Amino acid sequence: MSLNVDRAGNAFSFKGGMLPMTVMELTSADPERIREQLVGKLNQAPAFFQHTPVMLSVEKLEEPHLALERICAVCRSHKLLPVAVRGGGEPVKQSAWALGLGWFPPQEVRPRSLETVTPAPAEEPAPVATPLGSVGSRIHRGTVRSGQQVSAADGDLVVLGAVNAGAEVLAGGNIHVYGALRGRALAGIHGDREAGIFCHELHAELLSLAGNYKRLEDIDPQLLGKPAQVRLDDDQLTIAPLA
Amino acid sequence: MAKIIVVTSGKGGVGKTTSAAAIATGLALRGKKTVVIDFDVGLRNLDLIMGCERRVVYDLINVIQGEAGLNQAMIRDKRVDNLHILPASQTRDKDALTAEGVEKVLDTLAEDFDYIVCDSPAGIERGAQLAMYYADEAVVVTNPEVSSVRDSDRILGLLGSKTRRAEQNRDPVKEHLLITRYDPERVTGGDMLNLEDIHEILAINLIGLIPESEAVLRASNQGIPVTHDQKSDAGQAYSDTVARLLGEEVPLRFHEYQKKSLLSRMFGGGRR
Repeated sequence: MSLNVDRAGNAFSFKGGMLPMTVMELTSADPERIREQLVGKLNQAPAFFQHTPVMLSVEKLEEPHLALERICAVCRSHKLLPVAVRGGGEPVKQSAWALGLGWFPPQEVRPRSLETVTPAPAEEPAPVATPLGSVGSRIHRGTVRSGQQVSAADGDLVVLGAVNAGAEVLAGGNIHVYGALRGRALAGIHGDREAGIFCHELHAELLSLAGNYKRLEDIDPQLLGKPAQVRLDDDQLTIAPLA
Repeated sequence: MAKIIVVTSGKGGVGKTTSAAAIATGLALRGKKTVVIDFDVGLRNLDLIMGCERRVVYDLINVIQGEAGLNQAMIRDKRVDNLHILPASQTRDKDALTAEGVEKVLDTLAEDFDYIVCDSPAGIERGAQLAMYYADEAVVVTNPEVSSVRDSDRILGLLGSKTRRAEQNRDPVKEHLLITRYDPERVTGGDMLNLEDIHEILAINLIGLIPESEAVLRASNQGIPVTHDQKSDAGQAYSDTVARLLGEEVPLRFHEYQKKSLLSRMFGGGRR
């Protein structure tokens, strides 16, 4: 299903996009100092200065008013093309708009997005764990203990035993735990959306399928302690009892 | 050839040193020639628990660095024949321990003794890893509490990977679970994890269960290992543990909550 059905009748369509952008983070508001530094850079790497679009970040500056027009002129004369300004207060925003530039609010230091980020692997994988990149499926016999990491990067991982709290199991494909799953289980780590997690007793700290995850807190308590299967349905982790 | 047993836990304060002292004493009481080594360099405690702190001259580090001979550093226990203590240094730090040095000490001791009990420091760093590295068997001391269980789980992972037996692909270190400070009344009330839950998570052989007991604190402060106090439940429980270590079948005791009778409550009796 598409919203752009009548494509021929539309002059354009809006699309979201993420483009790499050079951010020029200003630590001085003095156009003269900026110019001097640009001259030096231009000599070092002339290839970079080809009407390169840049975002001027003024977050590190404390001055409420900036000589934005002069700063932009200095940039343009050195073949940098300011397209937007980030940070600063209301006066900076207004002068950016007056110059035909976009304005972005200051970048917040925010936690990474909850739904799409794959958690970082445990800091110290135990030697029993096979390093990522091992080929094929893998059977692990025995308990995976706290601090250990067991992975089958390119296949299914079968654990004949429990995965204890503080342990982590990863697989490119499915994960089967024939015991209690108390630790973290990450299946489909390369993005396989068909991958699933199956366990005899669900107490998992974290369940992740192709980067979508649920924490223990998000799991319906009624499902805990029982055999369960985890699938991905429309970006939603679905946990169902294992009949 | 001596058997090397490490007493370890990951978490601090769960009763490693108490257990190492009690088990070593129990083994010696059973006629086994035993030495107990304090690996907690910098936080020496075993000598206090064994009641020999006034007789320490040289220590493990002196021996490793060649400043003293083993026989000069070892302290003979006053209460039991067959029992020796090798204290840790209080003034050095754990970096003074070297794998080669420890191996040499253990090899020399192995010629004379039946059992070498290594009292591990808390944590999972160098000191703890060296204490476990040469072990044949491990007693993992765990309290009925979630953080202790998780740390024990971590230690079990290291025992399976960072020991000489694991690195040389020999038979794995024989792992035993020792639950200490178990209070059946609080377990019944749900304040503490119960025996079955701990056993299920850690999934290793249960070698003993030591009830929470006033006798342990008393024994520590007097410097007499609790195994000598055979009137106390903890002393008996350690004796049972030692018997199981020696391969005997002994039924589990002290794990069930017995309600105090009206009379014993009135007269303040009951188990110690």
